Amino acid sequence: MSALMQEMSAKALKLNIPLSVQIDLTYRCNERCVHCYLDHHDHGEMTTAEITHLLDEMADAGVFILTLSGGEIFLRKDFFELLEHARRLMFCVKLKTNAVLIREREAARLRDLGVDSIQISIYSHRAEVHDAITLIPGSLKRSLDAIRFLKSQGLKVTIANVLMTQNAQDYPGVRALAAELGVECTLDPTVTPMMDGDRGVLNLGADQNMLRQVFRDTSLVGDVEEFCAIPAKPGEDDLDATPCSAGHTACYVSPYGEVFPCVQFPLPTGNVRQQRFVDIWRHSEQMNDVRSIRLKDLTTCPSCTHVSNCTRCPGLAYLEGNMRGPSSQDCGKSYARTGVPSANMLAKERAGINPLQGNSGSASLVQIRVLPVVTSATA
Amino acid sequence: MSRLYVARNPRVAARSLDGEMMIMSGRDSTLFTLNKTATILWQSADGTTPLDEIVEHRIVSEFQVEAAEALQDAETLARELASHEILQISEEPFPQRNNAAGESRSGESR
Amino acid sequence: MPQLATDVARLSLVIETGGMPVRVNTTDHAFLALLQDRYAGFLSPSGNEEQAEIEFDVDLGPSRFADPNAVVSVAQHQGRWKLERGDFRAEWEPASRRGWIRQTANPYSIDAVLRIVHTLVLARQGGFLAHSASAIRNGKAFLFAGVSEAGKTTISRLAPPDATLLTDEISYVRKDVGKHAGGYIAYGTPFTGELAKLGENVSAPIAALYLLAKGTENRIDPLPQAEAARSLLANLLFFAQDEELVQAMFHSAFEFVSRVPVARLTFVPDARVWELIR
Repeated sequence: MSALMQEMSAKALKLNIPLSVQIDLTYRCNERCVHCYLDHHDHGEMTTAEITHLLDEMADAGVFILTLSGGEIFLRKDFFELLEHARRLMFCVKLKTNAVLIREREAARLRDLGVDSIQISIYSHRAEVHDAITLIPGSLKRSLDAIRFLKSQGLKVTIANVLMTQNAQDYPGVRALAAELGVECTLDPTVTPMMDGDRGVLNLGADQNMLRQVFRDTSLVGDVEEFCAIPAKPGEDDLDATPCSAGHTACYVSPYGEVFPCVQFPLPTGNVRQQRFVDIWRHSEQMNDVRSIRLKDLTTCPSCTHVSNCTRCPGLAYLEGNMRGPSSQDCGKSYARTGVPSANMLAKERAGINPLQGNSGSASLVQIRVLPVVTSATA
Repeated sequence: MSRLYVARNPRVAARSLDGEMMIMSGRDSTLFTLNKTATILWQSADGTTPLDEIVEHRIVSEFQVEAAEALQDAETLARELASHEILQISEEPFPQRNNAAGESRSGESR
Repeated sequence: MPQLATDVARLSLVIETGGMPVRVNTTDHAFLALLQDRYAGFLSPSGNEEQAEIEFDVDLGPSRFADPNAVVSVAQHQGRWKLERGDFRAEWEPASRRGWIRQTANPYSIDAVLRIVHTLVLARQGGFLAHSASAIRNGKAFLFAGVSEAGKTTISRLAPPDATLLTDEISYVRKDVGKHAGGYIAYGTPFTGELAKLGENVSAPIAALYLLAKGTENRIDPLPQAEAARSLLANLLFFAQDEELVQAMFHSAFEFVSRVPVARLTFVPDARVWELIR
């Protein structure tokens, strides 16, 4: 993030402005990635009118960065109409897509509309591995072709990869491929649990062995000694920090109008089909609860060795059953990095439980409810 | 002397934050912020109102400055913004696009 | 065609804690290297035939064993102990001292198996593993017990240069059958908490067990034996679902507190507390 962007974020934080919002336009998808956390059936997505109205409300509320994702955004027949509306409102628009449906014509249109950047998921440089993850034969080829179309239009493209047992040894190949295509590349070492709390997909994720290998790969982490160093003890101010931007300068809206702090933090805080976006952002009891949390308020983490530099995602903690609790997946990453167990791991070991086992918090999670469309909401 | 016309470049991303415009250039995503005067200029740049009128009605009255100097400064500012592809400058009015949303909602956060 | 299974190289190392050597066999070079790194300082040279070794074959395999959220199960059946947790499965036969472990390539599963096996052996000898830090000063060992955040790691960090740290998390206690019979000995272990520094592989007779409490002054308050025994029991590492061994553990705890002074150590988290420990 540039210094100016950091300054703007700090200002937005102080003024309680949702600078950055992700809208998932649909959960329908033309791929069926084995690790995906979504239910792909359409349970009544927002209509074109509802979304354009939402975009108007978001612009009024000060939202600047708009990320459009899903599911697969190009499955929406009104996608370009929505994109045009968003650009008329001068959002900085970022897209997340598998790009399978992007050809020259779509790439040109994206360029004409001034999309800021496009993130495309590529799981391997080898078709047999990538296609076995997306479960769509030929998908790697189509995604790569799309990257070339987008690049030829001068658009900024990033490849996003997720570390899993199936593709664990292929991430260097993906990086090489990205370099060849002239695009940036990111690697996410975390598989997200299902939104309803089902943690089965985590078995596809990287184990300690893979994580240790990845965290010692200098081409990924830079200075390994620095990256894997045990952090210094937190200062007084460190524990006053907010856990992340969710609920502070960022949030998320589902295809059904549900507002969550983040796509990976599916705590229902309100529905834009029933309330104004800005009212949910400012006055939702649940959103304000999230907003009140500081590191010192967490149940287990404040006393942990890793508290000052852990990657702890509050959403993952929520999916384990307690948004003030630990995130076992992040304990695993801290452990793989440093060899020092987290406070949560030590507590579990002492209780006789697998130290890296996440709590199955699904009993306390609210299932995603689909509310009936209320036409007066848009009045 | 020919009049200058200014128009917001539709390729940027922009939003008002605490009364000042944040603008992301469409060319390379560089982020800029505009101070109060530049923000007024930006929000008034509809492509059909001449720059001197914008200065007279929105800047001179607001800031109690000399008209001639203000216009000079505004021109310099406009050219600078144009160099970053944030504004477009022309000696002719710009043909009107369907920019209704852009005018009423340049992102004032209420 | 090259021969397969029988030609796989047997890689092996011996981890010795509390004077008890445990040989670990694996066929995976990377895992062996991981173990060498993890237990450095506690590795015995191979071929030491003096001490009867406990021996485990490690089989690296898939990641799901028992119910992931269940507490570890440690039970014996017809002379074999069966250990099961979400991340490993193991069996061990005390008579032959041999067993196997099935787990993924990670250091914490085998760590747990080693600790459990040590507790099973120690239980029959009046010894135990306890959730406590321990350190040697002036030739004497001191134990510092407590729950997480009670201060085990803190007091370990504050130890002066003339104190030798044995562990910040899991203390190893055996009955002294040698020249100080009737007393107890504390051994260094590779079982660390958050300190990330392995204990030293040395031992000393135990002078006192302190139960930690953070406070505004440094003071030592002796505890009556009944309370001492209760506190010690709360800090023991023991998972076996076995009547006989549970009874043995109770007996061990009571015997320990009757022979070793136990006190509450209230302390301010700075180095001055160590002035009381000599």
